[in-house]
Amino acid sequence: MDQIIFLISEGFKNVWRHKATSLTAIFTLYVTLIIVGLFMIGGENIHKTIQYVRSKYKVEVFYKQEISDLQAKAIAEKIRKIRGVRSATVIEKKDAVNIFQDQFGEDIFNVLGYNPLPASTVVNFNRNSPKRLKFNAIIQEIKSMDGVDVVRHQGILVNKLERYYQKLLANFPYVSGLIVLIAVLVIYNTVKLSVFSRKNLIYSMQLIGATKSFIKMPFIFEGLLMGAISTLLVYPSMLGFIKGGNFLIQSVAHLKMSLSVDPFIWLWLAGLAGIISVLGSYRAISSILK
Amino acid sequence: MIEFQNVTYNHQKDVGVNNLSFTIPENDFAFLIGPTGSGKTTLMRLIYFDLLPQAGFVKTGDYSSHKLKKRKIPYARRDIGMVFQNYQLLEDRNVYDNIALPLHVLGYPTREITERVEECIGLVKLEGKEKLKPSQLSGGEQQRASLARAIVKDPAILLADEPTGNLDPVSAFELVKLLQEIHETGTTILMASHNYNLIKGRGYRIMELQNGHLRGNG
Repeated sequence: MDQIIFLISEGFKNVWRHKATSLTAIFTLYVTLIIVGLFMIGGENIHKTIQYVRSKYKVEVFYKQEISDLQAKAIAEKIRKIRGVRSATVIEKKDAVNIFQDQFGEDIFNVLGYNPLPASTVVNFNRNSPKRLKFNAIIQEIKSMDGVDVVRHQGILVNKLERYYQKLLANFPYVSGLIVLIAVLVIYNTVKLSVFSRKNLIYSMQLIGATKSFIKMPFIFEGLLMGAISTLLVYPSMLGFIKGGNFLIQSVAHLKMSLSVDPFIWLWLAGLAGIISVLGSYRAISSILK
Repeated sequence: MIEFQNVTYNHQKDVGVNNLSFTIPENDFAFLIGPTGSGKTTLMRLIYFDLLPQAGFVKTGDYSSHKLKKRKIPYARRDIGMVFQNYQLLEDRNVYDNIALPLHVLGYPTREITERVEECIGLVKLEGKEKLKPSQLSGGEQQRASLARAIVKDPAILLADEPTGNLDPVSAFELVKLLQEIHETGTTILMASHNYNLIKGRGYRIMELQNGHLRGNG
């Protein structure tokens, strides 16, 4: 029992004894975990962002002058059935007059003696589809309907956004895999350097009859402690980043959305830091003890 | 007991030892002399199994090189105390922790560790220096701390490889005197040195090594 307590306390004391190398290792772990963590938060919020952007897509369908409100409603019903369309709200001719009055302060009926404004429909799209929204196809289908005169939309912008979203979705697993791999290598090599800097200590321990496992244990506890310290530093920093991000989104960009974090990310980061630093220590010390 | 039977070990670019045979019985005190590069350190390293013979065998206590498995080497070293010319103290911990380390390796309870370490610190006259780091000690004090670390586990065999090499004559003389005191408690000691003046006339066995060959043994 005394020996186990000694080995654990040695691991913890080693962090203090080798402040410079420990600080370097902790800082490297911290930066790497921040990058991985931010990437994970980004990944988690991609879909939320595209949902928000899609909620802002708007298509205005203006009908021909001779189309009555009733016919407009029938066409809108057809539009609503198109795949990818969430809603189609009809603006009747008399509503168009009211909107005109709100916007220009004139009653067009009094000015012209008749209402020249056609009925129209505002179309909104499904936000939740993980697939690319086939915006052009929807517009073409609407345009081809009898009674439709003009379709106003932000097609170029929407197509660009949807294309980027699709590319991001397709490449996300590879990029995240690469980032985690780089993180693993950086953390492993940092821990390895910290162990290699104490080759003399390891040799001295061997000379006084320490077994391999006795020599390894303090290094493993040390790795675990460094992983834990970095994770504890990462948490408040990440929360700060998220708060800062939300401030920018809401106060500067005036967008009605906010970044969120799945609590699982914290566990994942702690696990990553712990496993890699312990494995890194174990592998590094094993290569010296060969 | 230390036994060499036709032991040969050659380094790639350096002289090792050639066909050595000798025995150092229990409770003996022997000096190993010879110029630098004569093979003294190789012989010492063979005794604590840091090197394994290319021919013949070495027997140290209950462990023999030709039957020894690699994983058993740490256990073979537990009954051997070692003192080196460059002290091999751990710079990252204080004198007390350096001396206590072999006892932690052997799994001694904390209470007994404290007692033994304090006793050894008294023996090598380092009282009051327990909390100092090796770099804060003089060469003589570092070597005495190294000696305390070697004897704290009460080893059957004590190997001292040029322990006076970095010491002034007074400190060197005091160290040999300390080794004699330790020998009187029943420890087998082999001390390598190239300083014949320091060891002559003490009435102990002197083995002379030249170019890896044993020239004198008596």
